[in-house]
This record gives sequence, C-alpha cells and structure tokens, in this order.
Amino acid sequence: MSQIESSPSPIADLSYRNYDLGLQNPRMRWWVISKLMIQLAFKRKAVWVCSVFSAWYYIVLAIIMFFVEQMSSASGNDQMSKSFISRLIWKDQFVHGFSYGQLLFMTIALYIGAGAIANDNRANALLVYLSKPVTKLDYVIGKWVGVFIPLFAVSAVPAVLFYLYGIMSFRSYGFFTDDPWLLPKVLLGLTFGSSFLSSLIVGFSSMFNQGRMAGAAYAGLYFLTNFFTQMITISWVMMHRGEGTESPLLPLITNVSYLSVDGLNIAMFKTILGTNGSARLGMPSPIPQIPRPDLWVVLLGVGGLTLLSLFIAWRRVRAVEVIG
Amino acid sequence: MTVATIRNLTVRYGNFTALNEFSCEIPEGATGLLGPNGAGKTTLIKTLLGFITAASGNADVMGIDLISGTRQIRQLVGLMPEQDCHIPGLSAVQFVAYAGELAGMPPEQALRRAHEVLEYCGLGEARYRNVETYSTGMKQRIKLAQALVHGPKLLLLDEPTNGLDPQGREDMLDLVKTISHSKGVNVLVSSHLLPDIERVCDRVVVVMKGQLRASGLIKDLKRIEGQPVDIELKEWSQGFISAAVAKGLTHVHSHRTTVRLQGPGTPTETQQIVFQAARESQAQIRGFVLAERTLEEAFLTAIAGDTPPVLNPGVTQ
Repeated sequence: MSQIESSPSPIADLSYRNYDLGLQNPRMRWWVISKLMIQLAFKRKAVWVCSVFSAWYYIVLAIIMFFVEQMSSASGNDQMSKSFISRLIWKDQFVHGFSYGQLLFMTIALYIGAGAIANDNRANALLVYLSKPVTKLDYVIGKWVGVFIPLFAVSAVPAVLFYLYGIMSFRSYGFFTDDPWLLPKVLLGLTFGSSFLSSLIVGFSSMFNQGRMAGAAYAGLYFLTNFFTQMITISWVMMHRGEGTESPLLPLITNVSYLSVDGLNIAMFKTILGTNGSARLGMPSPIPQIPRPDLWVVLLGVGGLTLLSLFIAWRRVRAVEVIG
Repeated sequence: MTVATIRNLTVRYGNFTALNEFSCEIPEGATGLLGPNGAGKTTLIKTLLGFITAASGNADVMGIDLISGTRQIRQLVGLMPEQDCHIPGLSAVQFVAYAGELAGMPPEQALRRAHEVLEYCGLGEARYRNVETYSTGMKQRIKLAQALVHGPKLLLLDEPTNGLDPQGREDMLDLVKTISHSKGVNVLVSSHLLPDIERVCDRVVVVMKGQLRASGLIKDLKRIEGQPVDIELKEWSQGFISAAVAKGLTHVHSHRTTVRLQGPGTPTETQQIVFQAARESQAQIRGFVLAERTLEEAFLTAIAGDTPPVLNPGVTQ
C-alpha cells in the first residue's frame, strides 16, 4: 500500500473557502458530458488506428487516381486516365468508402460507446451526474453526442479530403457537374450513419453494468445480422443469375439483404445519394450490385432502431445505486 | 429560515410506501436524519433531489419548489451518496473538476477549486491518482469533495462514515462539523449511527417507517419530561432520600451513589429542597445536574412511538 493510504493526510483547513463566484446557467450541461467523452475517445490509440484504416478505400482510390493521372501526363497520352476515370461513378466511390469503413466504424463505436453508460452504471456515476443540475435527457444527449462527434469526424474527414482532391483535380471528368449537391448529400449520409451507430451503441450500453458486456452484445448483433444478410445476398446473386430474375420474391430478398446494422447504414447512404451502387474502383465485376431497398425499409430500419435505442437509454438511466 | 420545508410527502415503490404523508421543516445548521435501516432516510434525500417523484405532497428546498425547480435545487445542493461512486477513467482532480463543471462552474474555476477542495479533504498528492485505485476511506473523501466543489448551500450526506476505520471516521466527522459550524454550509446528515449524529449535529429528524417520529434540538430530545435532577452523593444515604421525599420530591431511581429525584416545581425549586434535605440528613452532595437521557434512549423512545414528537417552534405538521 502506498504511503498515502497507510497514513492519510491530516484533514486541516489550509485552503478551503466557500465558492462564491457565479455558476453558469444549468442549460447546455450535455455539452460538458460530450466534451469529456470526446477527449477520452481521442486519447485512445486504437481509435486513431481504426480511424486511419477506415479510410483505406479513399486512400487506395486516391493513390490509383494520382498515379494514373501522373503516368498519363508523363507519357503525353491521356487515354489511359480517360479510360480508367471515365468508368468511375463519383458518388458510388463515396458509397464504397462508406461501406468498406463499416466494420471499423463499428469498432470505433465499440471503443467509445460500449462503456459510455455501462461503466457509469458500474461505478454509480449516475448519482454524481444526476445530483448536479443535469437531467436524464442532458445525460443521454451528452453521451450520444460524445459518440456521434468522433464517429462523424472519423467518417467525414477522409470523405471531405477525397472530395476536395476530386474537385481540384477531376472537375473535367464531371466530378462536380455529375452531382453539384454531392458533398452535402455525403455529409448528410454520414450524419445519419454516425447517428445510427451512436444510437445503437448508447442503447446497448445503457442495458449493461459493464462496458465489455455491452460491447459483446452489440458486436454479436452486428455479426449475426451481417452473417444473415450475407447468406441472403448470396441467394440474391444466385437468383439474379439464374431464372429467378423475374421472381416476385426478388424485391423481398433485396429488402431483406439489407437488414443488418451495416446493411441498413449502407442502404440509407445509397438512398440519400440516389444510387444503386456500381463496381468497385470502376473495375468490371461478374457479381451484380444489389440495388438499394425500398425507402420504407430504410426509414423503418434506421429510424426505428435509432428511436428505440434512444428510448431504451432514456428509460434505463436512473439514479439508483448498484450494489455488488 | 429553513433549508427545506416538506409538506405531506408520500413516496411509493410499487405497493410499498417509503414515505407516508411526511412533513417537517429542516432549519439552517447541521441536522441529523436518524432512523433504522429502511426507515426512509435515503428515499427522503433522493426525493428532495428530484431522483424520485412523490406520489403526493410537495417540498421547498432552499426556498425553491421541488416540482418546478429541480435543476436550481441541484445547483445549490451537494450530495455525498452512501454508495461508492466515481466517473470511470478519471483521476481525483479530473473527477472533482468535472463535477464542478457539471454544476455550472467555468472549467478553469472548476479545476482550481478541485485542487482546493481535495487538499481540504485530505487527499493531498493522491489527487493525481485514478479514483479506482483508492481505498474506502479515500473514496469517502472524494465523494465529499465532489459534493463540495461548487460551493453548495446545503450538503446532503448519506451515511458519511460508512466503511471507515475509527481514525477515518473521526477525521470525517471533524470535517463535516467544521463545514457545518465554521463554513456556514447547511448540512443534513443521514445516519443510523447515533454517536455520529450527536457529534456533528445540533438537531435531529427521526424517521421510522416513512413517518416523522420526532424532530428538534438534540438537547431538547434528550430532556426528560418533568425535569428530574441527578444528585451525586459522597456516599449512599437512605436518610437523604427519605428527607427529600418527605419534602415533596419523588424518588425516581438510584444507581450507586447517584440519586434521581423529581420535584413538582422548577429545577431551582427542586435544588433548594435537595439542599435542605441534605442538611437535615447530614448527606454530602458532590454533584447536581439536570437529568437527561442519552440520545440512544431518546431515539428508542421516539421510534417506539411512546411519546409524541418533540417539535421545533413553528414546525408544521
């Protein structure tokens, strides 16, 4: 045991005085909670590593585009860059960037959010929060924003950088004219995507007294639904290739193939960008792209789960003491 | 001036009534909330902070209506909960500064104040350590520090000496007494430990089965009806007792050389009769004090419901 524990400092009134400076209005308390969560999130090395890896599609695509352009200009023949770049559908590159980042976004959400409320439950921290001028709503909003902002930043920074690179170097290939509203749409899609993941993890976190249990449950849901939709996707591809093209079941299977955490997120992103997707890196692919599902699937899936998760979190937050 | 006025407060957990038409006034200063386990002490504290919604009744805390002003109340009140609590992943100074920010302090003020309060609570250099590594005594101190950081006008302490060793208990009680008696902070201490309450508080509110059983100054609560006196004699004297009884006093009981007598008049009149009886019986008096109960006796009487509640002047019920 340390020296301090074995002989605690004598309690003596050496420095205490009543605090008589003003206190700020008790509104906006949620931002104090969010601020601490954001600070703690970006102190984790794992979050930085996952953030970098989540941008791999944008990085690879940007490198390819850069070298193709450089080689074309060096050789004086722009046919190579034209043939490659003209195959790219710009907005679909953002869909791919977002899709390939899903697993890492989920991992970041786990790192930041799994313990957001669960660890507070374990440490009885809710008694501290709620004995201050902080309401349940402030607390839940604070935790949610504390997960949302890092997730949004991690997903938006590479997308925005890629957009800036594209608009500076490939305007002549229709980067801007193909869809002048592309950047706002991308940012809107990323906002919804980050908000969906934040809501889910905060909802899961509120149901447990240990962050690792909340994380395990969330990851379990993620991988199980993902496995299920991968199976559906395989059956969709087989039906599409075979005689089943006209099958009345095809629209249903299309919708069901998006019923996973990342499936719903991608579906929502495709819907906002108004695309069904195209081949990765513009390469011809024998596997067809599954079109985006019906709008009601997206609204019901993303909206419903977001609201349900936040409602659970709000209901579960109570200033009760956890013993044991 | 009262720090809290509680009017007919009823709190239920399902079918169980934790507080039943509870009314009392808590004046400024240090007040003890006494009652056996499960009496409703913690429920009362939680209700005053708005953690629990009352089924009926209302209260004012620091002059603010409980139903409409929960946030304002929490800004003026500091809670030291019974259970260990902290914000995971933070050092003590970060934790207390964060608690200050939550209460509405600007960040730089909260940090400065956190250092002051932690020093005051005796955490010294340990304030830079993660709270999760703290011993029980240190956790009690940091709970007090986070409750004090924003300079509350009312401090609610729920079993502040829980789990402390004798020295830690002494330190904590000294600290609480200093805060309440020298720093002008009103304190409501909930405990079932009578010596702790007696040491720190001037007044008590006794709760039993969710109802008020007694309330008032501790010295009033300990006073025995009829104001008997305890006379300590040099040696036991039956003659003295007989002389006193012959002069109209009642012999209540004797214990070794101490005799308890009760007169019909004031203590001064009783005193004159006692000295006359001593002179007549040649008994030598060594001591003369107004008899009083121990707080434990007073508490047991109160919770047994043998006597009506002792009330402060002006207390509504």
